[in-house]
Amino acid sequence: MTYVIAQPCIDVKDKACIEECPVDCIYEGPRKMYIQPDECVDCGACEPVCPVEAVFYQDDLPADWADYLGVERDFFATVGAPGGASSQPPLETDHPAVAGEPQRTASS
Amino acid sequence: MPGDPLPLVPWAGTRQSATEFKSDQEVRWCPGCGDYAVLAAVQGFLPELGLARENIVFVSGIGCSSRFPYYMNTYGMHSIHGRAPAIATGLATSRTDLSVWVVTGDGDALSIGGNHLIHALRRNVNLKILLFNNRIYGLTKGQYSPTSETGKITRSTPMGSLETPFNPASLAIGAEATFIARTLDSDRHHLVDVLRQAAVHQGTALVEIYQNCNIFNDGAFAVLKDKRSAQEAVIRLEHGKPIRFGHAGGKGVIRDTATGRLRVVPVTAGNEADVLVHDAHETDPGTAFALSRLADPHTLHHTPIGVLRQVERPDYDTQMAGQLDAAVERDGKGDLAALLAGTDTWTVKE
Repeated sequence: MTYVIAQPCIDVKDKACIEECPVDCIYEGPRKMYIQPDECVDCGACEPVCPVEAVFYQDDLPADWADYLGVERDFFATVGAPGGASSQPPLETDHPAVAGEPQRTASS
Repeated sequence: MPGDPLPLVPWAGTRQSATEFKSDQEVRWCPGCGDYAVLAAVQGFLPELGLARENIVFVSGIGCSSRFPYYMNTYGMHSIHGRAPAIATGLATSRTDLSVWVVTGDGDALSIGGNHLIHALRRNVNLKILLFNNRIYGLTKGQYSPTSETGKITRSTPMGSLETPFNPASLAIGAEATFIARTLDSDRHHLVDVLRQAAVHQGTALVEIYQNCNIFNDGAFAVLKDKRSAQEAVIRLEHGKPIRFGHAGGKGVIRDTATGRLRVVPVTAGNEADVLVHDAHETDPGTAFALSRLADPHTLHHTPIGVLRQVERPDYDTQMAGQLDAAVERDGKGDLAALLAGTDTWTVKE
């Protein structure tokens, strides 16, 4: 089981979650933050601090964003489990589903 | 299985996954608690052992960490405050086909349960004790614990604690423990590596886990976890390897020949040969004791983690089973019902 970062994070990336995560498993992509599902320990610290309510326990993902569990799993299938985000540079590409989302503007 | 370190505990016979070790109970610790990381590491590591789940038992006392057995899909018992080692001792000695784990904290193990802990350690019962040390009473909302630093300001010590804390690893060495390790909740790789070694140890293994209570003692071990400071603060012990740490292994631990104390020094070509080589199997506990308290108590700099000591000594349960077998062979199988329903007096023979 894992927590998942869904669509509201795209182009926001507040990163309050990074400060809270005790196991350093939240990685930065160009447009969205990503939780490594195998490194996540289900503690839930990230969920309440997200200012745009983008973080969900996987069973609680709203239907509209249910795909984001697969997005994070697919994403890390190629990235792997680096064992800590703070020692990594930000990831260079987003998952195609995230990259294909329309650009969020200040008013949207 | 040849070379099996746990010959008496039955094998699962099938490949297991972490999911099989997760119970259906909702995990209820505070969001961000270090206990989640330990739980995930234990559930992820147990399939490696390949033991039958019905032959694994987690026994806990009282405290936040003691909710652990609820979340394990094994047998378990949320027992009495501080008494988990006693209950687990009874279980391990009467059922040598079980892998028995104790989950406890700095309050449960070192305050009310201090007596049970030290006697389990000296008896060398086949128990694996996970001591979650967060240096605070979390469940009761933030009073100082037996490992809180002197001067700690809490709700029960508004002017600062007057007490000298226990060093759990030093205490365990004094209590004749045969396996003592220290690790960090958030370093999953290291934590699992230590658990792996503890699991196959014959006798009592004490694993002290520095665990963050993010509500009542947040950041107690931050200096050991922050990657920028950890390089200079943490000493990773590996059996058979020189004790070096810091950038490019630039610092090392040597023994001062004048005082006999351990000292941290910059490693140079001139003193490289003097750097202490870690020998966890050394029977004399002196060096392990010195290592256990090498860290600066105020800054935690130079904290050794890893297996401090792992020595062989006959375990209590095997020896007790041997005595029972010998008694049966000599006197025949006893009759408990006859004894209970028997006479009130006995004749003691020479």
